[in-house]
Amino acid sequence: MLQTLPRRAVVTLLALSVFFPLGLVIYQSVLSGPFFMKTATLSLESFAFIFDDPDFWSATKNTLIVAVGMSAIAIPLGAILAFIMVRTDLPGRRWLETPILIPIFVSPVVLGFGYVVSLGPVGFFSVWFESIFGGVPWNIYSLASIVVIAGLTHVPHVYLYSSSALRNLGSDVEEAARLSGASPFRVARDVSIPMVSPALLYVGVLVFFLGFEIFGLPLILGDPEGHLVLTTYLYKLTNKLGTPSYHLMAAVATCIVAITFPLVLLQRFLLKSAQRYVSMKGKSARQRPLMLGPWKWLALGLIVAWLFITVVVPVSGIALRSVVSSWGQGVNLLEVLTLDHFHAVFEESTMIRSIVNSILIGTIGGAVAVGGYLLIGLATHRQPDGLSRFVDYVILTPRAIPGLMAGLAVFWVFLFVPFLAPLRSTLFSVWFAYAVVWLAYGMRLIQSALMQVGPELEEAGRLVGASRSRVSRDITVPLIRNGLLGSWLLIFMIFEREYSTGVYLLSPGTEVIGAQIVSLWASGAVDVVAALSLINMLLVGVGLALALRFGVKLHD
Amino acid sequence: MTDKTILTVDNLALSYGSNPILKGVSMHLRRGEVVSLLGPSGSGKTTLLRAVAGLEQPHHGSVSIAGRAIYDAAAGIDIPAEKRELGLVFQSYALWPHKTVFDNVAYPLKLRKVSTNEIIQRVHAALKNLGLDHLAERYPHQLSGGQQQRVSIARALVYNPPVILLDEPLSNLDAKMREEARAWLRNLIVELQLSALVVTHDQSEAMAMSDRILLLNGGVIEQQGTPQEMYSQPQTFFVADFMGSNNVIKGRISEIRAGQACVDIGDGLRLWGQRRSDAAIGQEVSAIVRIERARLADGPGEHRAQIDLVTSMFLGDRFEYVLHAGQNLLRAWGQRQEEAGQRWLEFPPEAVWVF
Repeated sequence: MLQTLPRRAVVTLLALSVFFPLGLVIYQSVLSGPFFMKTATLSLESFAFIFDDPDFWSATKNTLIVAVGMSAIAIPLGAILAFIMVRTDLPGRRWLETPILIPIFVSPVVLGFGYVVSLGPVGFFSVWFESIFGGVPWNIYSLASIVVIAGLTHVPHVYLYSSSALRNLGSDVEEAARLSGASPFRVARDVSIPMVSPALLYVGVLVFFLGFEIFGLPLILGDPEGHLVLTTYLYKLTNKLGTPSYHLMAAVATCIVAITFPLVLLQRFLLKSAQRYVSMKGKSARQRPLMLGPWKWLALGLIVAWLFITVVVPVSGIALRSVVSSWGQGVNLLEVLTLDHFHAVFEESTMIRSIVNSILIGTIGGAVAVGGYLLIGLATHRQPDGLSRFVDYVILTPRAIPGLMAGLAVFWVFLFVPFLAPLRSTLFSVWFAYAVVWLAYGMRLIQSALMQVGPELEEAGRLVGASRSRVSRDITVPLIRNGLLGSWLLIFMIFEREYSTGVYLLSPGTEVIGAQIVSLWASGAVDVVAALSLINMLLVGVGLALALRFGVKLHD
Repeated sequence: MTDKTILTVDNLALSYGSNPILKGVSMHLRRGEVVSLLGPSGSGKTTLLRAVAGLEQPHHGSVSIAGRAIYDAAAGIDIPAEKRELGLVFQSYALWPHKTVFDNVAYPLKLRKVSTNEIIQRVHAALKNLGLDHLAERYPHQLSGGQQQRVSIARALVYNPPVILLDEPLSNLDAKMREEARAWLRNLIVELQLSALVVTHDQSEAMAMSDRILLLNGGVIEQQGTPQEMYSQPQTFFVADFMGSNNVIKGRISEIRAGQACVDIGDGLRLWGQRRSDAAIGQEVSAIVRIERARLADGPGEHRAQIDLVTSMFLGDRFEYVLHAGQNLLRAWGQRQEEAGQRWLEFPPEAVWVF
């Protein structure tokens, strides 16, 4: 609740931060060369070039396969998982709640790397499997592997949305089905899941457009056999022509946004109708868990198997790889144990800098970002006017922009705007890109915290003589302290996890672990990547432990 | 308006989107007077209170406090809520959970830049007035519902607002406490000579607490007057039906004579009552008689009808009889248990209103 003038200033700054980088990308896409070259003129030749490139079309095809395939895997599994966790008496549900969400907080590039060292041709699990069965039936570098892994690691996204929808469903409808003779899984298939179908449709669109944005997995798993997706195609374009091919990259980026932005709008529309659906049902009878009986072992086995593949396999692979000097058929584990990789990391100043920077950007950067989100939240809090509706759409826009591309756009902004240029090679540019990329996520955290404050508490403040800004300062903000702490911890984890946004902003002084891994991976420094990946996971783990310690809800 | 008028609302209209909530409401409140806004849910009573407080946005009309316009659509005046200097006691009390009782009550004074010493003195005086002095250092969640309500009142009174607004002040208390709190609140208002506007949906609460009642229905004032006037001289069927406990008897007018109408209620039963609408002979009408005015009689007589008594219910201080008359289910009160069977029921014509 700010006064008009600061309110407008906040909204203007927000709109500039979102639309200027995006506008720059679109402007760049219709130039014949990089925007800083005097010879560049308005033209569509960059589009003509990429549409002529067979790699672009194969990347588009692969992207579609990945998006469709991962949705087909993640949506049913996530819905079943949500049903089991929310509506049944599965043993150990409370203990499973946190592990289920881990894939969300592990950097995809780290995950991808974990799969390579675990299930790759000479990966730990591959070698063991081979020594027992004489061969491995999988090829981690195939497109199918990318689809399966992307699908499995996006199950938590589906779980989050469908579980909250299922929580709003009365259990009487399920009991009725049970008494008519349906088994627990028939109940899930025929009653519960159809009743939350609006939420599933919503999250289906979400997973589908996340498929257009994934970068880490295809970068690491798709590269050896040349499977490109649009984001990796964009990344490879960097060096395609020798000269900076900004106009081509912008054209690809524009194509991606042309697909994702309508999907984001569709998702918003679906969210509204899903909410209407749920509120129509209301919070009816108290929920009683469905008795699974003997089925519970099957359900538990399913969840444990999924957790094994998506969490245990890659994480244990990285942990192991970071402490062995080499690995392969017939190598004795005890002989190759070493801490050299960590020594290597801590001896090189760029590595140390990337770790320090990652911590800084998560802690201080995270706090500043939460502060910024809070200002935006207060500027629109309980003021349902045109400006607030405008802010709603501004907040949504970055969701449509893949991190890689957002980093590129921010890089260009800092190149393009003279007074920002000195900040380009400072951590500020990286922080700015992170804050914009995670705007929608952060705003959801802040807005849900703000909605917890009863409107009458603020009205009471107004009535006794406090202005809007005074009410914000003395009543609203103190009341959401815990929500702000929680948001900060979640943003910390998300900022530690982030990798693609920093890729184009990587320069001496702006190293962060995620981007560093991407760049080191290209140079084949597997040992250091393993050590850095483990450190990265540890940082996220610290955030997670703190969040659990303070009772932060990892989802709404 | 006399100079004793402290709050004036003139032709106030308010809509949510295209849905009109207030359709031109006018009222006034005199100094030292308690006025209740009474009505069923959706009648606009809370909206009217919130519009006076500055928490809702009307689109037409005006509101003024002690001669100072705080809202005037025509003149483009809309003083924000914090500058209106009104006190509002919220239905949920709206105590700030992160402040102690003392800080809750002190906050309005802090906003007015009152010196620390004076704040301490005035807050303690306000708390003492409400019997809360010993709870000053507690947090709201450590208080009972009744105590929270008193803190909320102390907070609304501490800066001496000219008018205090109360939104369903008793609805969050349990039934037994409510009657005590009603007496306590009325006493407080009289003692401190407050001018109060009270929203309530409970007619007995409104009658007990206020000097005047405004009955709202569908965004307009249906009738206003003293509690006695509202109860005994209702102008419309809605008012007659809303106030008190009633028998509503459907029937057809069979005869009209000098301001009185005779209603045929089936089974050959007829009853005479005050003609309160221009319904003509043969028209369907509703006759209303307060339950306490319908009386069991010993035998036949004028304005008596023989009716089938189904059962008696014991209510503690009295019995309630359930009777059948044609299509209608009637109720009457008495002091004795009655067996089922035919009884004579008397309807004094001055207590029967025909609409």
